[in-house]
Amino acid sequence: MDANMIGRTRDISKVLVIAGVVALSPALAQPQDAILPGGSSRWEKTVPEIASGKWTGPRTPDGQPDVQGFWSNTIANQNNWTDPQGGEPGGKTPKSARSERAPSRVSDPASGEVPFQPWARAIQQEFAANFHNPVKPQYIEPLARCAPGGVPKSFIWHGYEIRQFPGYVLFIFDSGSRLIHLDGKPHLPSNIKLWNADSRGRWEGNTLVVDVTNNNAKARFGRSGEFASENVHITERFIFSNDGQRYNYVATITDPTVYTRPWTATIPAKRRAANGEEPDGWHFDGVYVSRPGKPPLAESTERVCVENNGGFGNVAITSNQ
Amino acid sequence: MTASHIPAPRSRTRFANWAGVVACMFLVAGAQGAEKIPRLANGKPDFSGIWQTTSAAEYDLEPHAGRKDAPPSPGAVEGNFIPYLPEALERKKKNFAARATLDPRLKCWTLGTPRGIYYREPFQILQRERDLTLVFQFGHSIRTIHTNGTPHPENLDNELWLGDSRGHWEGDTLVVDVRDFNEETWLDRAGNFHSTALHVVERWKLLDANTIEYTATLEDPNVYSRPWTLSVLLHRHREKNFQLIENYCFTHDYDEYYPFTTKK
Repeated sequence: MDANMIGRTRDISKVLVIAGVVALSPALAQPQDAILPGGSSRWEKTVPEIASGKWTGPRTPDGQPDVQGFWSNTIANQNNWTDPQGGEPGGKTPKSARSERAPSRVSDPASGEVPFQPWARAIQQEFAANFHNPVKPQYIEPLARCAPGGVPKSFIWHGYEIRQFPGYVLFIFDSGSRLIHLDGKPHLPSNIKLWNADSRGRWEGNTLVVDVTNNNAKARFGRSGEFASENVHITERFIFSNDGQRYNYVATITDPTVYTRPWTATIPAKRRAANGEEPDGWHFDGVYVSRPGKPPLAESTERVCVENNGGFGNVAITSNQ
Repeated sequence: MTASHIPAPRSRTRFANWAGVVACMFLVAGAQGAEKIPRLANGKPDFSGIWQTTSAAEYDLEPHAGRKDAPPSPGAVEGNFIPYLPEALERKKKNFAARATLDPRLKCWTLGTPRGIYYREPFQILQRERDLTLVFQFGHSIRTIHTNGTPHPENLDNELWLGDSRGHWEGDTLVVDVRDFNEETWLDRAGNFHSTALHVVERWKLLDANTIEYTATLEDPNVYSRPWTLSVLLHRHREKNFQLIENYCFTHDYDEYYPFTTKK
């Protein structure tokens, strides 16, 4: 992302681009628990308990639990997968004790570590060690080249919108989008590998269960370099609280090519933009519709990335070349 | 039919029979049409599905013979040709001459409105009462057409790639007003173009359950001497298990570097 692009920005895009620069540039790495322009504390330190069970909340016209709207994870961005509030690899050593920061996103095994095979652990550490000085193309995080965040990283990169339709749940991320099929049709042929994989889901009470295959494994889970192979099979459980304000993303990740055993990732998320909160450029970077006298109605803004020659899914802004 | 057309009494019976037959034909036709067009719970036409044109409009909106980079086509423009202002026509000719390198599609940039609609890859419409979500396979970009009565934003200087789309219903036709464009997108591979002053009015109509008649009227006083209209048909993909397959084509430039994770 170059300085010219910042110069070309204006209006609502400015805060988004600056947020992207801050997140990208090690020199500007932002402190944890930063206070955003909107005034809200950015991160929480704990993962709430949300049990799988009945759904008692509102439903969509086709009978799905209605969880539409804007969401964002509550813990941290993708700087660090296993010590989410511990900063990106090679960054400043955190001042707080580990026990004072949010837990690892690896909720099983209890060690909080991804159960890598030794060769895979070495590759993860190689990526982390080269994150600040990517002397080879493969050390550049694909997200910084405008690639989709992939599964599961998209859930810790900016807020996102969920829309629901008969037979589908659509995630509109900051970089890329993902359509969950609820129609019972089979997965794509296994040789087709995709950034956001192939997703087949069903609702079980308050839980959206999604079977994820066909992952191209090009996206890392975070800047700390954790990864899977193209053989990865992920079972996601999106467990929604009945007040519609929270959900936990609980994913079982199985990949005998890379890991010694299946493991579980947990990412808590919170509803955003439900009460007219100001866009903060990260958790909610949409806009509100002009409709005086009616409750706030949030809309996503158009996302482009490669068109701006800048990573991280900026809103549309261009210049006359 | 007015009273003056009512025949003499002697032929009234025959007329009544004839009128009855015609009325029945219309009723049957109307009922069949109503059955065939899918509708939302609120009665509005339901455009949900995966669509694609068979038209060659995206190669060149104007009539053209076959050439190395385009099959022949009678064109998709009412009146055949886009009414360019003289200077704009010169620019279009330059675009055409350099199309093999200048077409934004080659960089996998968002195709824009209306080009994304008749680009020759499928797109999916997902519809709620409040909006239509268009997911384009090419670039996997997302366009929202709002149908909840909300107006365009007051500020229309974001220079969007797909524009800000606000729709309303005229009978069973969805009429969409699209504003706030940049000038980066082309209308086709032949270099037809617009400026930031582009204003598009789309009309979406289901001719039957599996066919959409799509028309777009383009107004741009910087480029065209008058508004003009293009029209294509969009056909529903009905192949078994057909689905969009994400095509983030801009990632192909660096595909080779990832993953470097597979055990050698």
